[in-house]
Amino acid sequence: MTMLSFRLELRRSRILAVGLAVVVLVYGGLIAAVYPILLANTAQIQDYMKLFPKELMAAFGMSGSLADPGTFFTTYIGSFLWPVVAAIGAIVLATRPAAADAERGWSDLPLGTPLTRGTYLGAAILGQLVILAVLAFVTVGGVLAVGALVGAGFDATRFLAAGAVLWLFACAMAGVTSLVAVITLSRGVAASVTAGILIAMYLLNIVAQVQPAFAWLGDLTAFRYAGVGALIDRGTADWVGIGVFTIVAGAGWIASLMLFRRRDLLP
Amino acid sequence: MPEAIELRGLTRWYGKRRGVIDLEADVHEGEVFGFLGPNGAGKTTTIRMLLGLIRPSGGSARILGLDPWTQAPAVHRRLAHLGSDPGYLGDMDATALLDYLGALRGLQKGAWRSLAERLDLDPSVPVKRLSRGNRQKVGVVSVFMGREPLLVMDEPSTGLDPLMQREFLTLVAEARAGGRTVFLSSHNLPEVERACDRVAIIREGRLVKIATVAALVGDHTRSVNLVLGRPAAEDAFALPGVTVLSSTGQDVHVMVRGDINPLLRRLGELDVRDIAVSTPDVEDLFFRYYEGTVAGSEGRRVAAGGSGIDGEAAP
Repeated sequence: MTMLSFRLELRRSRILAVGLAVVVLVYGGLIAAVYPILLANTAQIQDYMKLFPKELMAAFGMSGSLADPGTFFTTYIGSFLWPVVAAIGAIVLATRPAAADAERGWSDLPLGTPLTRGTYLGAAILGQLVILAVLAFVTVGGVLAVGALVGAGFDATRFLAAGAVLWLFACAMAGVTSLVAVITLSRGVAASVTAGILIAMYLLNIVAQVQPAFAWLGDLTAFRYAGVGALIDRGTADWVGIGVFTIVAGAGWIASLMLFRRRDLLP
Repeated sequence: MPEAIELRGLTRWYGKRRGVIDLEADVHEGEVFGFLGPNGAGKTTTIRMLLGLIRPSGGSARILGLDPWTQAPAVHRRLAHLGSDPGYLGDMDATALLDYLGALRGLQKGAWRSLAERLDLDPSVPVKRLSRGNRQKVGVVSVFMGREPLLVMDEPSTGLDPLMQREFLTLVAEARAGGRTVFLSSHNLPEVERACDRVAIIREGRLVKIATVAALVGDHTRSVNLVLGRPAAEDAFALPGVTVLSSTGQDVHVMVRGDINPLLRRLGELDVRDIAVSTPDVEDLFFRYYEGTVAGSEGRRVAAGGSGIDGEAAP
């Protein structure tokens, strides 16, 4: 039954997955194609970057030279495109089983069969893990593939490791969204709460980087742990960040499963 | 042997809002049990508790001796369900949908095909392109395609055309003949009359009547409008249960309570040019069982017919 529901989840997610994959693939590929130009003009670009306000640089994670692959990837994808794509994917996928399908009346059908609530939601969570992994690795895969074509010299292992961090970041969003969806049984509320939290954390992260007095705020935001620049440039993994994302995702999903078993599924 | 369904003081509140209150009923194995009530009466709330989708605020429900809240998967192995407005996935066609739901119930692929042919359902069309009636056919096929001993249906024939409604009633009769129990929620009295052995009437969350269909139908009042070829004798309608509401000689309006056969036999002796018989709908019954008057829809129908005797249709 788990596989039946899981296959249906994948089937239902294919348009979303393909759409987002095309976006990250095309954008990542274009950006990777530009990298050798940036590399050849590093000095001029660094002079140019000095003109930008510190806040803007912080907002896009531009803490080093764009000639560094890690800073380059973080600037254009890790801190910019990926949070948006991951949020869309996580919110759509994680609000679907408990909230959207309950609102439309679909969940009554499988849950009126011997399928247990745990299996129903568990299969959906498995679907979230797989789709978000596909998106994360397509994101780094596109950059790597085009980078190889243009001779960018990206380190595939480090980029793939960065893909795993991107995936965990998205999973953490999905875990929280799933829990809010089970609590509220409302797709709109769950999506708004998740999006609101993300935007708030994004702004807090900027404040933390711009104002040393509020640096501690940065530790409270997911973006503090989502950076993959050091991982790509120096091979240094942020194990705290990886742990935080894993715990948040796991706790969100486990709590969702436990709560969903006891939840009134109102008409 | 446990009852197919046992309700014992079953109550559900949504905060301060009433769902259902203190429902007491038994549905025997092998019978077709009608659950009648208008929108908002509590039918769907009751069914959702029977399915274990929501928890009772008080009392209990048992399905074949099992608690639907704590033993939902075991209960769902024994029942098939059709909701009043299932939220099908529009991009799926009926083939994929029915195979998926069938597989969850342990059925082979295509177990539903003969039923789909019988109901003239094209399974290759995406559900979002199906008409309301055809979507309802998907639900009817879904509920009957398995072998579960209990079928729970919420407004199952809504949207079906008369031919398909008849086919649906045949399916219900076959299910009963096969020893299955059917719990049929409806606000369609003629359908319930034809399909059910017993009926419970729910209004404003409370059960107001449980009776056999024969008792219920025999107990209610029909309105009969007649156009005669020539005026009938003054005592022509002096029959048991028959009340003349108005008569202009050739146009006669009578109310019949209980057995209609004496009136039909008398009409056979008269020169009847036209006849219109209206059966009270479930709302009329509610007025009777709840308010002790039919000054509602049945009375209004009489008044609209020109008799001017509003409210006199009370039994």
